[in-house]
Amino acid sequence: MAKKNGSLNRRGFLKGAAAGAAASAASLVTNTSPAEAQRGGNAAAPVPAPTQEQIARDAGVVRPPATVRAVQRPGSDLMVQVLKDMGLEYVAGNPGSSFEGLQESFINYGNPPNRMPEFITALHEESAVTMAHGYAKAEGKPMIALLHGTIGVQHAAMSIYQAYYDRTPVLMITGRDEGFIQAHTAHDMSAMVRSFTKWDAQPRTLEESLTALQHAYNEAITPPMGPTLVVLDTEFQKEEARELKVPAYRPPQIAGIDAGKAKEIAEALLDAQNPRTEVRRLRTPQGVKLSVELAELVGASTGTGATTGPMSFPQRHPLCGPGASTAYDYTLGLEIPAAQASIIGPGLATLLARDTANVGFGGIVPVAGGRGARGGAGATNAAAIQADAEASLPLLIEEVKRQLTADKRRVIEERKAKHAEANRKARIEAITQAVETKRNGWDSSPVATARIYAELWPLIKNEDWCLASPSGFSGGHHVQLWDHNKPYSYLGGQGAGGMGYGAPASVGAALAAKSRNRIVINIQTDGDLNYAPGVLWTAVHHKLPMLTIMHNNRAWHQELMFVEYMCGVRGRGTDRGHIGTSLRDPFIDYAKMAAGYGMASEGPISDPSKLAAAFKRGLDSVKRGEPYLIDVITQPR
Amino acid sequence: MKTILGIAVFLLTSMLPIYAQRGNTQAPTSPVTGSAANGKALYYSYSCYACHGYNGETGRAFVGNWSANLANEENFIRFLRGRANVAPLTPSTSMPNFAENTLSDKQAKDIYAYIRTFKNAQPDLKNILLLNQIVEDASKPSTR
Repeated sequence: MAKKNGSLNRRGFLKGAAAGAAASAASLVTNTSPAEAQRGGNAAAPVPAPTQEQIARDAGVVRPPATVRAVQRPGSDLMVQVLKDMGLEYVAGNPGSSFEGLQESFINYGNPPNRMPEFITALHEESAVTMAHGYAKAEGKPMIALLHGTIGVQHAAMSIYQAYYDRTPVLMITGRDEGFIQAHTAHDMSAMVRSFTKWDAQPRTLEESLTALQHAYNEAITPPMGPTLVVLDTEFQKEEARELKVPAYRPPQIAGIDAGKAKEIAEALLDAQNPRTEVRRLRTPQGVKLSVELAELVGASTGTGATTGPMSFPQRHPLCGPGASTAYDYTLGLEIPAAQASIIGPGLATLLARDTANVGFGGIVPVAGGRGARGGAGATNAAAIQADAEASLPLLIEEVKRQLTADKRRVIEERKAKHAEANRKARIEAITQAVETKRNGWDSSPVATARIYAELWPLIKNEDWCLASPSGFSGGHHVQLWDHNKPYSYLGGQGAGGMGYGAPASVGAALAAKSRNRIVINIQTDGDLNYAPGVLWTAVHHKLPMLTIMHNNRAWHQELMFVEYMCGVRGRGTDRGHIGTSLRDPFIDYAKMAAGYGMASEGPISDPSKLAAAFKRGLDSVKRGEPYLIDVITQPR
Repeated sequence: MKTILGIAVFLLTSMLPIYAQRGNTQAPTSPVTGSAANGKALYYSYSCYACHGYNGETGRAFVGNWSANLANEENFIRFLRGRANVAPLTPSTSMPNFAENTLSDKQAKDIYAYIRTFKNAQPDLKNILLLNQIVEDASKPSTR
């Protein structure tokens, strides 16, 4: 490894450059001469529009003239090639000197440059990681979050914790520069977040750096999935790679059930008079497809987690529901405990050894009779088979096909028809009951949250949509009113209940949606948006298909109710319960906030009769690639 | 001591089911002596709206579900004060207690008067085309 001459030269350069920076910067953004800028003149002059040449350069259409470069084959080019080979679509980050070499390769290496992965400009590291969190929940695979040494990692800490708790794969890269700013360097960079990352590495050579990226990707997508972190020294990013080869990528082998278990379960499913499958969160869309194939092959009525999170059985599939009879004689759980057999992948409890800070994380440590390893709630009547359900399905399906006879096929087809009719009736009954309560406050002002979901549904039901924001604080009305038929229909909660999640997770989901002609719905609680609203700019800058509808109740209402209760318990009155829980004096204008970030917007709307037209305008805008925000003043819940 | 304990048990066993059970669809008709105008300000400043909505129609709604605790002023005040006996560390409801030193009887009556102005404004289901369409769609095969 070639060490550079020390930081003095670089620092000296920065010091010299700083003297004229203020004046010349002013001239860059205001078209003002440095002399005028120093006098403070003409500060309001407009920003010059980019030239056609600049636009062509930004798009990667025009390359700069070839010049002699100090390094012919920088190490960071190889790092980016490794990431390309693994099919990573996006890298989100805000700039940091500890990865400037790598960033240069992201935006300039390859043909075309800045594609696979494309650089997404984040305005906060927490947003970058949460974008990756939302993307992974929608797509079932990771994207990259790029973090500056020490300070960027600490900014990202909370969102890393959420992704970890949500068992969601994120590939994180941070830079490390021993010779520059001491505060941005650490001997063991990952230690700050090790207790809640799945795997990390701080390679000692360029060659090791390349294999570490591959290892980190594989660890992220292997159950229990989670965020992984690779620390890349600036030296390796900038060194001459010479003849070093990019190692071939080998995907991980994820363990499913063995042939004996597959035979046993297949036999039980086919021998049962009324088999059932319970499906919860699988890893990828392919797993969902396989779960449908299994249910159809054996004619099992099926339970789903599609209304609580991603990657589960389609809600409107004819087999989804209680079926013709709830007297099930064999139930197979896929990533959820069930009566006769359960296939459940490893949970976070398997990673306890990484909790070096002894934080504990109550929900991760297995508790007798509790949710422990987060394999799912419910009765654990059968000992779970510790294997990934999705990886088990191909062998199980193969075994079912092998054991199927013509007689069994006929019985199964008859059963499926009965299930389909029973599930259709059950669905109508459930929705008929639900709408009776959804009309509460139908015409009230401020707007009832149920009406938001009801008004939006006819406008999106024939679109390919994804509800990316958590709905728990907004009444969760989509559960009854919408159909959740795609692996990404609803992406579920924050992971660890941390605020500041909805908007960046939706932006991540919108990154996944952009090239797939899909639209993303973000029903955005106001308290949550205020953590890092700059992510709205990211959505605009990258032309992401995201419709944001504010559930603006002007408070953290859950907490307002908690504090109110405590005031009452202590006999001190609830009239001060709003202190520290409400967002008033002044009210926040979210349409203006969005406009400030360049996002098309309207509102505030408090008249429910105006929702439909506003939603239509918003969706038309989103379909043009222009994200849109509608501020709706709502009832508290 | 036994008497006090007995009263507490009575309150716990008698009031909670009343709170939890389905109320009357018809609004009470008992006399109202408070000021609805004052009550409107108190309903907001004491954050009643946080759980019951600005119009009593959403969240833990009053309208269309009039609890016996809202049958008259006396029941309402007794209910507000009675929350002190709900075990605070493991509450069985999230309704706060309103002690007399923090909310006077007069103020409580004002809030009651305001609550009584709430009307059942929601349309009949048959007149809400959107919701009817959602029910109708449920009987069709999935669109995607």
